[in-house]
Amino acid sequence: MASQADRHALYEQAVQDPERDVRFFSRVYRRLRGRDALRLREDFCGTAALCHAWVQSMPERTAVGVDLCQETMDWGTRRWIEPAGEEVASRIALVHGDVREPRGPKADLACGLNFSYNCFKTRAELREYFEAARAGLDKDGLFFIDLLGGMESMLEGVTDNDQGDFVYRWEQARFNARTHELLCYIHFVFPDGSEMRRAYTYDWRLWTAPELQELLVEAGFSKVHFYWEKTDREGDGTGVFYEPSFVENQEIWWTYMAAEA
Amino acid sequence: MRHKKKKNRMHSPKTMAQEADRHELYQRAVQSPEADVEFFTERFEQLRNRPALRLREDFCGTALLATTWVRSDPERTAVGVDLDGATLGWGRERNVEPFQEVIGERLELIEGDVREAETALADITCAMNFSYCVFTSRDALRSYFEAARRGLKDDGIFIAELYGGTEAIDILEEERELDGFTYVWDQERYNPLDNSTTCHIHFDFDDGSRIEKAFTYEWRLWTIAELRELLQEAGFADVRVFWEEVEADEDDEDAMMSGTGEYVEVTELDENQESWLVYLVALA
Repeated sequence: MASQADRHALYEQAVQDPERDVRFFSRVYRRLRGRDALRLREDFCGTAALCHAWVQSMPERTAVGVDLCQETMDWGTRRWIEPAGEEVASRIALVHGDVREPRGPKADLACGLNFSYNCFKTRAELREYFEAARAGLDKDGLFFIDLLGGMESMLEGVTDNDQGDFVYRWEQARFNARTHELLCYIHFVFPDGSEMRRAYTYDWRLWTAPELQELLVEAGFSKVHFYWEKTDREGDGTGVFYEPSFVENQEIWWTYMAAEA
Repeated sequence: MRHKKKKNRMHSPKTMAQEADRHELYQRAVQSPEADVEFFTERFEQLRNRPALRLREDFCGTALLATTWVRSDPERTAVGVDLDGATLGWGRERNVEPFQEVIGERLELIEGDVREAETALADITCAMNFSYCVFTSRDALRSYFEAARRGLKDDGIFIAELYGGTEAIDILEEERELDGFTYVWDQERYNPLDNSTTCHIHFDFDDGSRIEKAFTYEWRLWTIAELRELLQEAGFADVRVFWEEVEADEDDEDAMMSGTGEYVEVTELDENQESWLVYLVALA
């Protein structure tokens, strides 16, 4: 089964929820800016699933996706953009390139998701990326990133998540307490016992929340917001986010930050 | 008066907590100045090929380390800097005066801000017990590191102690029994949004009494990576990291790892522990 499977399809199913991201970003933008965000830039866009969900959510919306990997964007074009028809396709542009080179018309909203910016391991590199993200925004634009934290984010270990027809396996292979570098893999495991090992590899520096906030401010963003998901009595996420100044640390958490241009 | 005092005491005997002295308990529970002096001496010899003679102890509190330093070698001098005059006074009375003859004029205590105090340049400046974590912004901490570097000789070194690990970013209470009292380390609050933490030290006694919040700390728990960056921004040429080797109890796999007193340089150590302690050694 592993040899038949498509890693991008498995990734999208296991990791992404672009409609949820679109809803959340739209809500925050409307609350802070009093109007709808229309133009999105998705950095590290991969298959551009978010670009697709964005333009589908409103007929006036346009999106540009930027990624270093042409093969992954081509996959996304075949999977999402071509089947959606010419009109939708005409509102999405995919750019093969470095996210640190700003281009095209300015966006209302930009995002760097799935912790991809952690590939920048020095303050200078990450600040340069944040500066580019800001330069590509309209003057009242918003920049969203997600971040990963908690006690277990700094440990080695394996977490399995059963997706029904396969198991999504997240492996934190190496954490270096001296440099805060984290090496991770995604593996996919199938019911017939076959396995797609190291379908994705991430060589990151795990930046902490205050470091990200400091670098965003150094890059010129005027205000940084932390969002945290409210949980129900069982501890499950409710999809409702608030802005806390304090949270209790947890074994593992991920959340969003938004920075105002 | 003397008689009356005695009588009162008989009617309402003081608890052990009331009799105890928090600075003395702290010194016994937390500090190991001889081990620090040994580590500093060896590191400096190894890195600079000469003996270290002058120590500056920032955030010195009772100046136990500075006192131990000057007592370790008749050629050694030291200066301790702390904001808290009362604690310095305690140290003068309890750590310095009993050894005044040996120490002579070789130890100076300065009541003041570690970022501003000026004194003869040091071979080694140290910031122990995580005290510099009171600086919660990069600018404030960098300006302290710059001051530390200004206070060093050309081949001086700056040593800062840091703790971390997965338990350091959690809420927990840890007890350690010592002779006559129990030391309680209480991580009351940790906020992963800004890495701020509130910690207390309490002391418990056999009669059930307690010194609650004998010491309280409001810190930002910096990461090793952040400190290395700030030390370099402050002008230090190189930053080395050492941590204490630990060993497991062979008879009890679940027991806590214990320190061996041996420090090794951390280069490619790719693991996090529940709890670790390192010395960052920054070369001027």
